[in-house]
Amino acid sequence: MKFGKSTITIDRRLSDLDYFAIDFTTVLKKHTPYVIVSGYVAILLGRARASEDIDIIIPRLDFSTVQSLLKDVRHHGFYCLNAEGDKEIYEYLTEELPVRFAKIHTIIPNIEVNWSKNKFDDIALEKTIQVHLNKKCLTISHLELQVAFKEIVLRSPKDIEDARHIRKVAEGYLDLKAIRKYKVMLRDFYKEK
Amino acid sequence: VTFTKKNEKERLQFVDTWAEYVKNHSDREWSQQQNIIINSGLRSASLTKEQFFHMKKEKYNRP
Repeated sequence: MKFGKSTITIDRRLSDLDYFAIDFTTVLKKHTPYVIVSGYVAILLGRARASEDIDIIIPRLDFSTVQSLLKDVRHHGFYCLNAEGDKEIYEYLTEELPVRFAKIHTIIPNIEVNWSKNKFDDIALEKTIQVHLNKKCLTISHLELQVAFKEIVLRSPKDIEDARHIRKVAEGYLDLKAIRKYKVMLRDFYKEK
Repeated sequence: VTFTKKNEKERLQFVDTWAEYVKNHSDREWSQQQNIIINSGLRSASLTKEQFFHMKKEKYNRP
């Protein structure tokens, strides 16, 4: 694993989850910027655990862009698990509810797509890392925000372990001041809510 | 020390041990082992949509 300024190169053997992420984001990125966040970020960096889903944030899109995206996604063998028609899926997104996509006839693995809901989602979309996996590429959030979010907001044992794994494997590369800054920002933001 | 605390400590120790392994071995080596966990978890999962959304505590309206 090689860490660059805004890149990580991993010469890993791809898992079923990696192939799934690559297949979906290859379609997604034709229509919108995206960023992968949360558990799959830790898994991509080697964390020894499974996951049934991958969390993705996209910016708010207009209806016609969502329609084009959905057409393309369906054309590539995916379907939406929790809503059917384009309008219903769009409504879910505008209500800030996640929409999930899986390969036809399957439930797991699936991708949870959310619109950006707050300034932290915007930061995640803005400050990204390109992860090079052999000849494939995935866009993930910068790691400092992921570590802070897991330690301050999510805080389940699984999230604390994810954050610890990221801290260990990216030691020397992580900006510890930025993690501390995000932790303060997150505490303030979620205290106000 | 309660069972929960002991279990938590052991889990964190394993996270550290595995992270060291990842850092000190080639990506091909650690990912081959990691993929056993990931792929077997996905291949053995058999949930219905209702069960999945119940597990996730998310809205699911489809009949």
